[in-house]
Amino acid sequence: MVKDPWWIFAYWEIQPKTERAARSQLLPEEIAGLQSVLRVYDVTGMDGSAQPAHGAFDIGLSGLATNWYIHTNAPHHAFVVEIGLLTSRGRFLPLARSNRVTTPRFGPSDVIDASWITTDEAYWKLFGASAGVGIGASPLAWSQVLAQQLFSGNWSSPSPVGPSRHSAVRGFWVRVNADLVIHGATEPRASVAIEGQPVAVRPDGTFSLRVALPAGTQTITIDVTAPDGRQTRTVTPVVTLAWAGSLTPETTTPKAQLHHPRPGSP
Amino acid sequence: MEPQGFLAIVLHTHLPFIRHPEHAEFLEERWLFEAITETYLPLLERFQRLANDGVPYRLTMSFTPTLLAMLSDGLLQARYLRHLEKLIELSEKEIERTRWMPPFHRLALLYHHRFTSARRLYVDGFHRNLIQPFRELSDRGYLEPIASCATHGFLPLMNEQRTAVRAQIHVGVQVFEQAFGKRPVGFWLPECGYHPGHDAFLKPFGIRYFLTDAHGILFGSPRPKYGVYAPAICPSGVAAFGRDLESSKSVWSAEAGYPGDVDYREFYRDIGYDLEYDYVRPYLNGDGSRLNTGIKYYRITGTTSDKQPYDPDRALDTASQHAGNFMCNREKQIAFLRTVMDRAPIVVSPYDAELFGHWWFEGPDWLEFLIRKVHFDQKTFQLITPSDYFQRYPINQQLEPSMSSWGNGGYNDVWLNGSNDWLYCHLHQMAERMTEQAKAHHQPDPLTHRALNQMARELLLAQSSDWAFILKTQTHTAYAYRRFRDHLARFTVLDDALRRQAIDEPWLAEREAADNLFPRLDYRIYAT
Repeated sequence: MVKDPWWIFAYWEIQPKTERAARSQLLPEEIAGLQSVLRVYDVTGMDGSAQPAHGAFDIGLSGLATNWYIHTNAPHHAFVVEIGLLTSRGRFLPLARSNRVTTPRFGPSDVIDASWITTDEAYWKLFGASAGVGIGASPLAWSQVLAQQLFSGNWSSPSPVGPSRHSAVRGFWVRVNADLVIHGATEPRASVAIEGQPVAVRPDGTFSLRVALPAGTQTITIDVTAPDGRQTRTVTPVVTLAWAGSLTPETTTPKAQLHHPRPGSP
Repeated sequence: MEPQGFLAIVLHTHLPFIRHPEHAEFLEERWLFEAITETYLPLLERFQRLANDGVPYRLTMSFTPTLLAMLSDGLLQARYLRHLEKLIELSEKEIERTRWMPPFHRLALLYHHRFTSARRLYVDGFHRNLIQPFRELSDRGYLEPIASCATHGFLPLMNEQRTAVRAQIHVGVQVFEQAFGKRPVGFWLPECGYHPGHDAFLKPFGIRYFLTDAHGILFGSPRPKYGVYAPAICPSGVAAFGRDLESSKSVWSAEAGYPGDVDYREFYRDIGYDLEYDYVRPYLNGDGSRLNTGIKYYRITGTTSDKQPYDPDRALDTASQHAGNFMCNREKQIAFLRTVMDRAPIVVSPYDAELFGHWWFEGPDWLEFLIRKVHFDQKTFQLITPSDYFQRYPINQQLEPSMSSWGNGGYNDVWLNGSNDWLYCHLHQMAERMTEQAKAHHQPDPLTHRALNQMARELLLAQSSDWAFILKTQTHTAYAYRRFRDHLARFTVLDDALRRQAIDEPWLAEREAADNLFPRLDYRIYAT
């Protein structure tokens, strides 16, 4: 599988009998120093496996690896990988052969279609515009353009997964708020109003109201009217909330990160 | 006057199939509910308003079959309403609680209004079926809906299993046709993941175009004369439209993007986390972990944790300014492109639909402002869909796009790295076994037929790119792992049962009832 223009990925599973069959071909003196290797063939431009590859390199495998990321460092090349046993004398006994993969080109094609002729200058003008780096970016800067503008900070797909929450400023943070709960009980069919607004009375006659309490003094008028509507009781608690101290974070916190909504990223 | 160029806005909608009838409530089902309240309903409401106001516009929207299946599922519709009722109840309590805090009281009223409007729209306006209004917008000529893969499978990493690639596309087209009553003209390759040659799989379904990231076209061969500002005709004859990065960045970039503006609503401050635990507990899920309720009172404010209350008027004003800025930048961009091109360019701006409303709360307003401004305030360019562009410029350059995706890094890294590479040996083997089984059963009896179809369903669900993505991003990994393991296990059970000719019918019926998507799926698509 292709990871990107420079890396490919291989995984494998070797049946014990396949490995036994290969080992049975070994001469006794070849057993020592036997190594598992991946042999990576460059098969760019070749159709079948009849031709010898342009080149090949080996990667010694350690331990019980069942997969490997291979740094080919070769965009726009085709590869086939074999896993096998390599003797100390250099004899290679293949165990399995991969499918063929082709890494993508990284950079503009050299092929120009005669009926759609484009100049380098025009291409770079459009390229700069596409990459969002302003008008007519210099071709010299293109590798930087690619690395910085084209790919980095791209985003990918998402689900509206609620990511874990952050504080925008790293380090120690505190929030404190106060809610006030007013609660009481009366006769089940009585009516209750707090600051003129009706509050539901439950079948058992209890009632409650929760309010976010601002700083300062609140005078709260609670009117309770009997079921027959003839009698009213009024009570007026006065609540004062005052804050001392400060919870504002210190201004010397490390460079803060702006948590910009970006799907899928925490 | 002929416009100098065109802007094609493409919204991609997708959610993985998440439906758990075996649990009374399920955390991850909320992804759908949040997307309905915050994205799909607000977008539909605005699209309808624009149409009713006589503002002409053309937008392209892709829909994945998993999302379409969930939107039309009775159980999830009922659960969505239950979820919305709870939100309305919470917002009522918030109206009470905030009565002495005017800036918050106003916001509590606003949320209550939004949620009750959402309920009215969902129940009375759309009769719980959101596909229908999208279809109507399509029939009225405002929206160009396009198809996508069955379960958002990432095709470049499926390349060795041709039948699996074809099946993802086939089911995608089939579900689209059922939903929209016509063949799709375009196709959204999940994550814009293109592997050379995959265009040929789209061709037999009558697909005329798909979308790639910018470098898919720019690194195509022969070299593209017009960059990403005109379609490229692939070897199969299907066209590829490349993403314009300049317009994408202005919405997506963490540094310069609009959604990070200090006036916009802060996503990460939600009363589900901010308020006292016992008070919000009834609105959390079974395990009682705090979560985002959707009621958020603060604006981004800046790089501080001392957030200021959200001011909806100010935010709306900013959204309007940002829409004007986006329009103005497209005018400049298109005027410049005209100096290098001998034809009118098409600027293609694809976004995830869920960005609008869910992440970027003001996104739907921004889009509505933009559509109005484009129509009333300028004459340089028009909104267009990719297929409209063919009517103006039927002759386009032939080239083969380069392998690419819009994921971080531009290739396959996001879906192939140390956190998720172990998925592929299973996925590839499953696809091979599926093909073997499909080829081995030509005339199955009804029960065997059902088992084979369910096997195909389990394979498709395991192929969702979401699992690899979630494993990579390290959020909700336990769920992604569980889902993948479950589909793999069920697939294996079915595969064994078919080989032993011993299918457990009650178990099969249970699986069919739970994963009830793709009712018309026929496993024989894997036999070709």
